[in-house]
Amino acid sequence: MNVLNLELIVFIIFAIIAILSSIIVIEHKSLVYAASFLAILGISNAVLFILLGYTLVALFHLAVYVGAAVTFILFSITMLKEAPLTDIPTRVLAMIFTIFILATFTIILINGVYVNIPTPSFIVSYKALANALITKFWFPLLIASLALIVTLIEAITLARREVGI
Amino acid sequence: MMLTAGMFLSISFIMLAIGIYGIVSRRNMVRMLLSAEVIFNAALLTLLILSSIPIHAATQPDKPAIGGAIALLAIGIAAAEIGVAISIAILLFQIKQHVDVYELRKFRG
Repeated sequence: MNVLNLELIVFIIFAIIAILSSIIVIEHKSLVYAASFLAILGISNAVLFILLGYTLVALFHLAVYVGAAVTFILFSITMLKEAPLTDIPTRVLAMIFTIFILATFTIILINGVYVNIPTPSFIVSYKALANALITKFWFPLLIASLALIVTLIEAITLARREVGI
Repeated sequence: MMLTAGMFLSISFIMLAIGIYGIVSRRNMVRMLLSAEVIFNAALLTLLILSSIPIHAATQPDKPAIGGAIALLAIGIAAAEIGVAISIAILLFQIKQHVDVYELRKFRG
C-alpha cells in the first residue's frame, strides 16, 4: 500500500466521522453529548488539515478550539437546560432551505474549476506562517489578541456578577 | 485515486448545510451556537483547501502561508466568540430560566 492510498483511507475515515459528528451535534437530545461530538468534529477537522499540509494550524485547532473553546461550552451547558424545539413546519422549511443550499453548492462543485485539482503534498512551515503573521497580518493579530483579553475580562465580570444587578 | 480539492470541498459543503439546518430549525441559543460552530469548521476547511491548491502558485507563492495565518486568527477569534455567546446564554438563563432566542426580542432597548 503506497502513501497516497493511505492518505485516501485516512481522508475517507475522518470525512465520515466529521459528517456523522456534525449530524449528531445538531440532532442529539442532550446538549452535553452534542458538545462532545463538536469536539470530535474538531479533531476530525484537524486531521483533514494535516492531510492538506497545515500541521501547525491543526495543532492550534486542537489546542485552542477543541481544548479550550469546546471544553468551555461543555462545562457551561451543565448550568443550562433545554428549551422546547420548534414546530414541525419550521423544521420542514429549514430542511427545504438546506436542500436548496446543498443543491446550489453541488452545482458549483460540478461546474467548478477547482474540483479536479489534486491537493499538493507540502507542509506549510512554522517559519512561513510566522512570517505571514508578523509582516502581513500584524494588525489583525493585535485585534485578535485584544478580543481575547476583552473576552477574558467579560467572562470574569459576568462570573462575579450577582443575579438582578 | 488521488485526493482532490473537490473531495474536501464536498465534505465542507455538507457540513455547511448541516450547520445551516441546525441554525434555522432550533430556538435554543446553545444549540444555535453549536450549529454556528459546525459552520465555522466548514468555513475553516474551505479556507484551507482553497489556499492550499496551487492555482495561482506562480504569482502568489506565499498563498498557503497566508491561508494558514488567516486560519490561525479565525480560530482565535472563534474562541473569543464562544466565550461571549456562552456568557450571554448563562446570563439569559439566570434571568429568564431558559435560553429560548424568541424571548431575546423582549430585551430590546
